[in-house]
Amino acid sequence: MISHKDSMHILIADDDEDDRTFFSEAMMELKMNNKLTLFNDGKDLMDYLSNPDIIMPHILFLDLNMPYMSGFECLKVIRADVRFKDVSIAIYSTSSSEKDIEETFVEGANIYIKKPNDFAKLKKVIKDVLNINWQFHSSGLNKETFFFSI
Amino acid sequence: MKLIKLYKNTQIFKVALVVAIVVVGYIASIFYTQMRSLDTSVGLITNSTETQLELEKVLSTISMYESNLRGYIITKDESYLKNRFLKRGEIDQNIEKIKKLVANNPRRIKDIDLLNKLIDHRFNLFRETLLLSKSKTFDSEGFKAKLQESNDFTETMKSFVYKTINAEGDKIKVHNVNHQFELEDSIISAFLLVILTLLILLLSFNKTNVDLVELKKANDELKFLNLSFNKAEKIAGFGHWKINAETGLYTFSDNFYRLLGEEPYAFEPKLENLTKYIHPDDLAYVIQSHKDSLISYEPTSLTFRFVLANGEIKYIKSVGSFTQNSKGEMIKTGVNYDMTDQYEKTLKLEESNIELKSINEELESFNNIVSHDLQEPLHKIQMFISRIGASDKETISEQGKVYLSKIGISANKMQTLLIDLVNYSRTVKGDKVFEEVNLKDIVKLVIDDLSSDIEDKKAVIEVGTLPTIKGMSFQIDQLFVNLISNSLKYSKDTVAPHINIYSEDIGVEEYYHDKLILDSDYHKIIIKDYGIGFKQEYAEKIFMLFQRLETGPKYSGTGLGLAICKKIVDNHHGCIKVQSEPNVGTMFSIYLPKDA
Repeated sequence: MISHKDSMHILIADDDEDDRTFFSEAMMELKMNNKLTLFNDGKDLMDYLSNPDIIMPHILFLDLNMPYMSGFECLKVIRADVRFKDVSIAIYSTSSSEKDIEETFVEGANIYIKKPNDFAKLKKVIKDVLNINWQFHSSGLNKETFFFSI
Repeated sequence: MKLIKLYKNTQIFKVALVVAIVVVGYIASIFYTQMRSLDTSVGLITNSTETQLELEKVLSTISMYESNLRGYIITKDESYLKNRFLKRGEIDQNIEKIKKLVANNPRRIKDIDLLNKLIDHRFNLFRETLLLSKSKTFDSEGFKAKLQESNDFTETMKSFVYKTINAEGDKIKVHNVNHQFELEDSIISAFLLVILTLLILLLSFNKTNVDLVELKKANDELKFLNLSFNKAEKIAGFGHWKINAETGLYTFSDNFYRLLGEEPYAFEPKLENLTKYIHPDDLAYVIQSHKDSLISYEPTSLTFRFVLANGEIKYIKSVGSFTQNSKGEMIKTGVNYDMTDQYEKTLKLEESNIELKSINEELESFNNIVSHDLQEPLHKIQMFISRIGASDKETISEQGKVYLSKIGISANKMQTLLIDLVNYSRTVKGDKVFEEVNLKDIVKLVIDDLSSDIEDKKAVIEVGTLPTIKGMSFQIDQLFVNLISNSLKYSKDTVAPHINIYSEDIGVEEYYHDKLILDSDYHKIIIKDYGIGFKQEYAEKIFMLFQRLETGPKYSGTGLGLAICKKIVDNHHGCIKVQSEPNVGTMFSIYLPKDA
């Protein structure tokens, strides 16, 4: 089991450069001493994950709309691989459509986050998500708790 | 009228005819017996008359003998005696005849026997008188005495015979009277017979006449019906056909031929003659289905194409079923219907349906653009504003800060507008799955969702009893979100918002656009606030797209919220009304069908 007391390895895949920047700046301002790796798209992410020597990430933030390989496709591939069974996946998207929420829930994502429109809110979201007790969260997961409300 | 009706009833007429014939038969048999008795009485009278005649003959013979004897006595001429007195001659024949005539009358037989003896005695007297007159010793005294005796005896005999004749005469009189009566009876019977027969004849004639007229009328009507049927076939574009399953004989109607592009009776009505008109691709299936049905007697419903001589293709629907005719034979009767127009219309409809679907898909992708692609840049703008506001607070001028906040407000407004647009187009979309929706649960969830707004405004929301309806839960959810947000938004600055949500019975006379709404058909749900309200004249306008009453910066509306509400209620086959008064408050009434 991954302990949250130690520094966590966090991945984020988002094709939008600004959003990646917001995310890393927010992480920096939080000063939580975590390791963050950024990916420009789904394919980039999957190439990295296919390497067997990597340090297993704790949390993966996944944008849905990405070129080459969408976040939804990544989600399916990752969840089909037992190697990543302990990785928590947080969907991180501008969309809050019922369809997207429903489908990612069914495919095994752990939480759905709608990108906040305020930097302060973004910091709060990241802080809250990193502090989630995933084991507890996943055991009582349903569609209501799946959608992260700020 | 009743009589005429009775008269027209064939059954009653038949009964009457049978009764009349029985009566005629009865009278005829009476007449027959009367004639028979008349015949016997005539026989009896003849019998008596003949008896009288014969008796008189006997008397006259006796008288003749007597006068002949006298002639001889006077003239002594032997020729008077020729062949006489030794034999009784005709008298025996007469007596025999009489005996036969009176054979049925024992008293008369006795009389005749007596007469026979008297005649014998008279003949003895003749002989004795003759012998006396011939004897040589003529005893005048003795002869005279004999003559006298003879004369007396003749008188006695005569009186006896006349007595018998008179007796017969009396009998004739009695018979005559009877005969008279019988004759009268027979005349009455005969008259009755003739009258009755005439009556029956007249009735039958009349009835036949009436029946004939009615038959002709029915025949005319049938002819007319046939004519109009033919015409109807022509107008409606269908033709009918028949086949006797026993004899295999086909009948085609006039329009059946016309559907094939031929003149009526252009060819013999036979299945073989039809095959060249049926589209080759359909031929095998049509013939097989038809032939199978002739064995199973199952009805058929076939759709196929006719190819006319000019190459035109007609889409035909042919339905047939079986009935029994009066001979008990199975008859398949069917109708061929030209559905080419219908088929083409269906094709067009399918095309426009496909078009509609693609339009819908476009709308869907537009939705995606709005909900995602447009929101992304907006989200970026908002993020950068918040970044500037946080990191460069000190370096920005006061004016700059105001501008920044205005940009922020505009961006937020745009975001709500985008969200509302997505919501609106979602309510327009086609897939409508109705399920049981507990309004109380929905309202509870909505209040949870809006809790931050509610807390900010310190609003009080009272929820009364609410029904469970059939609907689309996400739309109903949206409906309450919009209405409650609306009430929160347009509340008075000075008073904390107070909202009541409850259902109530529908009154006796509640209308929506002239349509009476009944409590048995609809639920009525009320959402009532004590906010700023508006003038009742705008009650219709507020449900229209992009119509806003309050445009001040304080009220951040998009003009879509209530239009969405109206669309949602329409989707649920209900209606929504509003009652409002400025500075008093607004009350929305939602009517949702109980049996959706």
